[in-house]
Amino acid sequence: MENKKGNDPDTHIEIVVNGPLVVTGNFVFADLKRGITITESEVKICRCTRSSNKPFCDSSCKRQSWI
Amino acid sequence: MSGKEGKFTNPRDREKSYKNDDITVYWKPVACIHASSCYNELIEVFNPGKRPWIDLDGSTTDKIIETINLCPTEALAWKWNDEGRNDLVGSAQMNHIKFRRPELLTKKEEQKSKPVIIKIMHDGPVVVDGTFTIEHEGEKRIVTNSIISLCRCGASRHIPYCDGEHRIIGYNDK
Repeated sequence: MENKKGNDPDTHIEIVVNGPLVVTGNFVFADLKRGITITESEVKICRCTRSSNKPFCDSSCKRQSWI
Repeated sequence: MSGKEGKFTNPRDREKSYKNDDITVYWKPVACIHASSCYNELIEVFNPGKRPWIDLDGSTTDKIIETINLCPTEALAWKWNDEGRNDLVGSAQMNHIKFRRPELLTKKEEQKSKPVIIKIMHDGPVVVDGTFTIEHEGEKRIVTNSIISLCRCGASRHIPYCDGEHRIIGYNDK
């Protein structure tokens, strides 16, 4: 109903310039090495390597631009 | 370079196979997304720093099969040399089925409403499997029933995608 276009997938990935990878919509997230499996509506994944809460973004990227 | 062979296919992209007493392992370079599960699990067999990079003498057949089944793509596949045994392989072994019984795979229509799988690879990229939109620098595209891997180490030359560089720089996922 909310998606009348029909062809647009339910899941969206945005690569934020100088920022994280933001996943929204219908997905299952797994980091098996850390034993994390979650099903939330949004997850932000670190791309800059500086997060101290990996694999998630902790906004360390905001302090210094990188890419 | 001027030779006729390799005109259409880069020699590095050609499929290769490796054999031990029990199984044959197939390596399809173009399908590799650098998810890195093979060498993280079994460097004794799958060592990208060596040539040839696959050495089946490095471990047991069981361990090799287990590792190949972790590969999210069809880059690595295997089958028993004894053809009769191939019919007994369980359905959990996805790569094996992709390789031998593609007709058993879920039909594309059924996959449409499935959740996308987002998987963090240890010391490697994030692998995304399913149907989704991806937006980068204002450009939006729809990816349908595919597996892609996105860089987490910052060193890829093809940002936002992974190009395997995490291994070269020794990215440590701490």
